[in-house]
Amino acid sequence: MHFVSGGAFQGKRKWVNAHYSFTHTPYSWYCAYENMFPLPHDETASVVVLEGIEHWIREYFFPYTDDEKEAIMSYIYAWERWEKEKKRTVIWIGCDISQGIVPIDSHERAWRDAVGWTYQQLARICSRVDYIWCGMNEQIK
Amino acid sequence: MIVFISGGVRSGKSSFAEQCAKMMAKATDSLHYIATAMRTDEEMEARIIHHQKQRKYDRWQTWEQPYDLDNIIPMFGKRDIVLLDCLTNLWANELFRDDRWHIEEKVPRIVQQIKKLGDQAKVCIVVSNEIFYDGIPYEQGTYAYMRGLGLLHQHIVIFSDVAILMRCGLPIVKKGRWPCGVG
Repeated sequence: MHFVSGGAFQGKRKWVNAHYSFTHTPYSWYCAYENMFPLPHDETASVVVLEGIEHWIREYFFPYTDDEKEAIMSYIYAWERWEKEKKRTVIWIGCDISQGIVPIDSHERAWRDAVGWTYQQLARICSRVDYIWCGMNEQIK
Repeated sequence: MIVFISGGVRSGKSSFAEQCAKMMAKATDSLHYIATAMRTDEEMEARIIHHQKQRKYDRWQTWEQPYDLDNIIPMFGKRDIVLLDCLTNLWANELFRDDRWHIEEKVPRIVQQIKKLGDQAKVCIVVSNEIFYDGIPYEQGTYAYMRGLGLLHQHIVIFSDVAILMRCGLPIVKKGRWPCGVG
């Protein structure tokens, strides 16, 4: 699995498109800003992109306690197993929300915490991690 | 030639950019400073004075141009080093000068202006700000502003010879090689 992060509006989507040359490869792209993330068992494409992890966590894992973190992990592991079944690739895209003012609202804080925690888990599990700045990638794992 | 420098608030971008401009300038070259801030309140006024004082003892010529870079581009040639400080002000002034917030039209226009500046002058140094690390904003105006600035950064970096990220006053070269001895 491949984890791609970076600030908002830095060209993460564009970079993934170019890196995997999606104009030639069949793929499934799921965007959390528009729809729910799917479960892997019905997937037919061999390359899957899951974009907007932070938004997906925000919407479906409130109130971001240990129970939700456990659910997040089992979801990630489900995709990992799916990837390993055949020659497949899973790409996770998450916006870096960790470098702003810490919000007063406790839910907002809990959300940032859960997102940061999830990114650490993804970085650990994924074989490759890239961070995008101004359209350019830096491979950090 | 275009040098792009970005960084957080108080990361030392402005003074680093000024230092670089001076080091790249030969004795016969002129230094130009495009100031983009609009004098809106006391804090801004004080900030402008702070920056002016720092430049005072050097040979800078200041151009106050909060928008419409086109107006001054013809003034520069191959003996001019132009410092644009900063893109975030310019973009706010351009984006919000009417109620249309038209990113698709305004971003390419500014990209072309900066490209032209870089082609025409000896060096064009563009200073901007890192504001992309607190998530995607929900408010419409902020969203338009951030998306536009992100696009500007990406487009400018494509034709920049050097792209630098400032951290704690230290330059991190992300693209190209730094052409002068500082840092």
